Amino acid sequence: MQALTNRAKPVDRKPMTFVERLYLWNIFKGMLITFKHIFKKKATINYPEQQRPFSPVFRGLHVLNRDEQGRERCTACGLCAVACPAEAITMEAAERKEGEENLYREEKYAAKYEINMLRCIFCGLCEEACPKDAIYLSETFAPANYQRKGLIYGKPDLLIPDPVTQPEEYKQALGNRANKQQQAN
Amino acid sequence: MPTIYIDNKPYEVKAGKNLLETCLTLGLDLPYFCWHPALGSVGACRQCAITLFKDKEDTQGRIVMSCMEPVKEGACISVSNATAKAFRGQVIEWLMTNHPHDCPVCDEGGCCHLQDMTVMTGHNYRRYQYKKRTYLNQYLGPLLNHEMNRCIQCYRCVRFYKDYAGGEDLNVFAAHHHVYFGREKDGILQSPFSGNLVEVCPTGVFTDKTLKQHYTRKWDLTAAPSVCQHCSLGCNTTAGERYGKIRSITNRYNGAVNGYFLCDRGRFGYEFVNDENRITQPLIRNRVPEAVDEQSLMDHLKLLLTQSRTLIGIGSSRASVESNFALRQLVGSENFYQGVSLDEAALGKLIASILQSGAVHTPSLKEMEQADAVLVLGEDIWNTAPIMALSVRQAVMNSAAANALQQTSIAGWHDAAVRELVQDNKGFLANAGLTASPLDDISTCTLHATPHDIAVMGFAIAHAIHPGLPEVPQLNNELAAKAAQIAKALQQAKRPLIISGPSCYNEAMIKAAFDIAGALNTGERKAMLSYVLPACNSMTLAMMQAPSFEKSIDRINDNTVVIILEQDLYRSIPPAKANAFFNRCKNLIVLDSLHNGTTEKAQVLIPAATMAEADGTLINNEGRAQRYYQVFVPTTGMVKESWKWFWQMRSLQTSSGNGLELHPNDWLTKLEKTLPQFNGISRVSYPPEFRIHGQAIPREPHRYSGRTAMLANLAVSEPKPLQDNDSPLSFTMEGYPNRPPASLIPFFWAPGWNSIQSVNKYQQETGGALSGGDPGIRLLEQKTGTPTAYFTDIPEALPAPRNKWLLLPAYHIFGSDELSAYSAAIRELCPEPYIGLSTQDTAELGITDGKNITLVAEGEEYTYPLKIQEHLCNGIVLLPAGLPGMPALTWGSWATIAPSLKNNAV
Ligand code: SF4
Ligand code: SF4
Ligand code: SF4
Ligand code: SF4
Ligand code: FES
Repeated sequence: MQALTNRAKPVDRKPMTFVERLYLWNIFKGMLITFKHIFKKKATINYPEQQRPFSPVFRGLHVLNRDEQGRERCTACGLCAVACPAEAITMEAAERKEGEENLYREEKYAAKYEINMLRCIFCGLCEEACPKDAIYLSETFAPANYQRKGLIYGKPDLLIPDPVTQPEEYKQALGNRANKQQQAN
Repeated sequence: MPTIYIDNKPYEVKAGKNLLETCLTLGLDLPYFCWHPALGSVGACRQCAITLFKDKEDTQGRIVMSCMEPVKEGACISVSNATAKAFRGQVIEWLMTNHPHDCPVCDEGGCCHLQDMTVMTGHNYRRYQYKKRTYLNQYLGPLLNHEMNRCIQCYRCVRFYKDYAGGEDLNVFAAHHHVYFGREKDGILQSPFSGNLVEVCPTGVFTDKTLKQHYTRKWDLTAAPSVCQHCSLGCNTTAGERYGKIRSITNRYNGAVNGYFLCDRGRFGYEFVNDENRITQPLIRNRVPEAVDEQSLMDHLKLLLTQSRTLIGIGSSRASVESNFALRQLVGSENFYQGVSLDEAALGKLIASILQSGAVHTPSLKEMEQADAVLVLGEDIWNTAPIMALSVRQAVMNSAAANALQQTSIAGWHDAAVRELVQDNKGFLANAGLTASPLDDISTCTLHATPHDIAVMGFAIAHAIHPGLPEVPQLNNELAAKAAQIAKALQQAKRPLIISGPSCYNEAMIKAAFDIAGALNTGERKAMLSYVLPACNSMTLAMMQAPSFEKSIDRINDNTVVIILEQDLYRSIPPAKANAFFNRCKNLIVLDSLHNGTTEKAQVLIPAATMAEADGTLINNEGRAQRYYQVFVPTTGMVKESWKWFWQMRSLQTSSGNGLELHPNDWLTKLEKTLPQFNGISRVSYPPEFRIHGQAIPREPHRYSGRTAMLANLAVSEPKPLQDNDSPLSFTMEGYPNRPPASLIPFFWAPGWNSIQSVNKYQQETGGALSGGDPGIRLLEQKTGTPTAYFTDIPEALPAPRNKWLLLPAYHIFGSDELSAYSAAIRELCPEPYIGLSTQDTAELGITDGKNITLVAEGEEYTYPLKIQEHLCNGIVLLPAGLPGMPALTWGSWATIAPSLKNNAV
């Protein structure tokens, strides 16, 4: 077969000698590397007692945002879902009924909104696509879970607390980044 | 063929067209709004600007509207030069100044012509910063949503609604920058073609209100080519699904059949698929529990089917060819019946044998639009075959236009100019019916008469055209005069069209229609004859010559097993008769998709697939076989195509195979071999192994979203994509990314063209046939040299029995069809049951409008309010046919009428 590139190196296929076949020297070489690491700086930290500093543009768990009056911003336009390279978002739209103007900002809203966190690659394209500032990626890690089911996030998991009725929780959920931004303004 | 130069490149193009359609035919992208291939050009929106040069040396050129400029030999134009581009950019910027920033909320988003054109022109930043003009929206009924702020004043809606479809209650109001497209005041849009506004309007002003209930973007739909199930014309549709529910029906262009338009029954009548009343589990009655799994069902069926009992099969006019034929194979041809009354079966048989004889040509809807004189004999096509009525309207308008254009050199696509020229002139249409029809407004000659009189007039017309045919004795003066007038007009025509059908339950009328068409057929005159049929697949049963199931009653005893396919017999015969039939059936197997009176009676009830879960073929009234494809696989229950169930039963009988070996195409091949009248039908589709470059055709657009999330709430591990073993379509977004063959187009899309206007890219020429030919295989072709076997048995005028009325059905576009009435929106538009009598008859009976009256027919009493029918002829009583909850009646029988005693007591 012809090589696909000219970078292919011919492999030396001569049979190994008896000493080589014992692998003793190779095992020793390996152990040496492991031993040297004892004296090196640790690569891991004691999470969650210790936390790493995040870059200011870290993309963590998604939040479905509300406006100042506590109305859901998402209008179920589907742009986040179509932008998502992992195809991890799905939703079902519903019409806002009369009397629900205090719940939903637009005349259409997401009756169901689900993200499969197992599939999500935290690329942030959904945030970028959203024309309503409804979805954004917070600084929170996606937590671990014993069951895969638990990583399918629905609206209750994603919606930010209501800023009118739960201002404290809202602030917390907004995270440092948003708070810093608000202070700057 | 003239040669024109576009951006210095020579192209051979078709003469007589305008430059816009020419450019689109050549595959160039040129934005437009007001032009529509079916509506012609008016030059209103200024979006299609191009530069036209004097000659090859001219470098300056001038801006012209391509839709208003005819193709001229040697013309030099530029689509892409800077002036034209800047002009188009300017126009769209103006149009967008008042357009809301609405796309995320707008239902049109993702299939919006305005979005596409805005992107195509490159307008992406708005400089306009002031207040936008806003309007109040109107309530337009349960079918359409109105959002006037999105309007760009292209006038397409009124041009379609008023000019093309003849509607009267949508118009344009006010002036300047405040024009308003809507009704005079809130109210239900009256035209049964109003749903087309969804596709005609290039923006989100008119959108599908039923889709709003379960909104899904076009790119998120799993779609498949489908065929409308709600009348006998077989309009092509695209059915879209998400989360196991059909979300919308859109038009699927077929140049020979429905073209660009559907009627509202077809577009909005899809919700029966999603109904709560669906049968999803097999039931064996008188067992605990009744719902059983497949294995117990099969065990039970094995006992039933193998104890050398006689099987009787009752075929259905709303089931596919495959299902009917599979049943016929299972029970044997001598035991195969159809579930309609004796009269209806006889009429169907007559129509099929006339068309199968090959003596006359039966036209497609497209050909009907080319007719230059039309006679409708007794069929209320407005309600029984709505799109045919739309075609007849086009025939009338087109022939008036053709007359007017003879004296000038104006091209036919010059819509405004042609209308100016034509004024109120109409082509010839004679409409004979029992009572008034919206078609009367455009007919030259109308007749409201009894079926007998209509038939007799038909024979008189045939005699006037061909004196060799017998003369009608004692013809009254009015009929004689009309017959003479109609005969004259038909003789002057080159392509006369005769339409009739079985809805008056009158055999003579069908025969007279054939005689007229036969008499008109001469060397250069080619007459067209079209019959409407009662249901979407009536033609198949008529061509199989299946007798009425009423004939099977005597054969049924305790040892027979009766199998009823997808139908409610209570819709075809009166309850007493139906009950008598069911009482004899001790072993009754019913396959259907929705619970109804017949399924109540079943001992074994088997869930059958609807058009959304099945592959199947339908034969429409012109004898065109068309395949519809499965849209999605239901995740719950055990819904399967009836033909699959039958083949499984067959393998129980023969104890071989598992019942899954045959695909629809195999059934059709078998059918051709068994019944030669169906020759050619197996060419209707591609075999399941058909691939393009090794790829199947995807049912989902490449932008389909949420694939890894949709089912994740049920099971996180993603299942293998579903396999389709019966067609070349796949249930995924992967597959052949380009244009599939015409009969396999699951949705219309082209790069830069997300809206339905992308159909341009699938046509051989704009507004013409789809590339590769329009789908469908015609089984009933005219055979040259076939002698015309005229009918000469003119019915005698029998005096009506004293104090009796002829009981006939009144059809309603909304309500008379079984399945569409499951849609909530359609049900809202269904009329209430009534009894219709002529003004004179009512006066003689001394009853008042709206009061309950009682009708007695064949020993059964029916009490409904009276509705005076101003134009109905005397001696006839009309009841709406097939309304939900109304029993079937013995149409064509004599009934007596009395003021209701019950009512007066109240
Ligand atoms: S972050 Fe990226 S992968 Fe995750 S949901 Fe958003 S678009 Fe999809
Ligand atoms: S989150 Fe944003 S992009 Fe996604 S559906 Fe809602 S409004 Fe549209
Ligand atoms: S009509 Fe089209 S362009 Fe206008 S808001 Fe709707 S989707 Fe957007
Ligand atoms: S309503 Fe739609 S079709 Fe009518 S003028 Fe406005 S944009 Fe055009
Ligand atoms: S499409 Fe030519 S002016 Fe509107």
